[in-house]
Amino acid sequence: MNTYPAPDDRLSAYLDGELDTAEREAVDGYLAASPEWREERDEIAYAREALRGLPTHEAPSGFWEGILSPELTRARAKRTSRWPRIAAAATGVAVAAVVIASLVIPSPDRVTPSVPALNDSHAVRSSVSDEPVSHLATLSMVTPFRK
Amino acid sequence: MMAGGVPTWEEVARDHGRFLYNVAYRLAGNDSDAQDLVQESLLRVRKGLERYQPGSLEGWLARIVTNVFLDEVRRRKRRPADALPDDPDWVLPPEPAADEVSTGFSDEVQAALATLPDEFRAAVVLCDVGDLPYDEIAESLGVPVGTVRSRIHRGRRLLRNALVGAGETA
Repeated sequence: MNTYPAPDDRLSAYLDGELDTAEREAVDGYLAASPEWREERDEIAYAREALRGLPTHEAPSGFWEGILSPELTRARAKRTSRWPRIAAAATGVAVAAVVIASLVIPSPDRVTPSVPALNDSHAVRSSVSDEPVSHLATLSMVTPFRK
Repeated sequence: MMAGGVPTWEEVARDHGRFLYNVAYRLAGNDSDAQDLVQESLLRVRKGLERYQPGSLEGWLARIVTNVFLDEVRRRKRRPADALPDDPDWVLPPEPAADEVSTGFSDEVQAALATLPDEFRAAVVLCDVGDLPYDEIAESLGVPVGTVRSRIHRGRRLLRNALVGAGETA
């Protein structure tokens, strides 16, 4: 008794001429011997021909005239070419904002000499000079006066 | 024609627009969405013409419109408000207007085509409407040739079942 695999996607590829020689010969053998393969081939061929036999569906009247009208074509070109210019302008504004901000806003490091460093050096000097008032500067405690 | 045999955007629309529209309509299932697909495809054509390598122009166009279609399907799936079940025009062909002439079996085939899952429909439309070989379909859809073969076969089988079902209920 001959046994064959169940019909598979080789049948579509067979109908489309997409099988290599070995696969094509195998399918030819199955088709010659198996009613199941022949039935599947006929059903797939039916769907394939139904699709291929569809008429060209035409666009509604006026659609292509609208697409190809000079005014719309120009507007479309303007719309597609506008974005690079907008992106370039936005980049320019961002760069200018960064430059201006760096010039106008002082950074903490621009105060010279550094206050904490000055405080520390003063404390060191006072600690070795037996000067009692300046010695207290390291505490840096600000106490408000009471009325 | 531009230098190097590359057509202009207007030439593509004028000379191959009919083919482009037909593929778009077979994918979308209605004129309204087909028009949107064609317009978006032509924008991509315009941007991509510089990179176009002279060859099968209609194959290139079929790939572009199919990718626009699949992008739109994904976009609608991401946005619940635009999801397919709430947008029957996207899935099912519209009811023919009273003044439209019914094309009988063609309408049945289009209705059956609209019931296929999007990936299967894209594969069979590229094959049977766009007439692309399997390797070009695979490249268009970004899947292996074996997957294309499977989708085409399963798509045709579903289509055949839908046509038989429609015939039995008619």
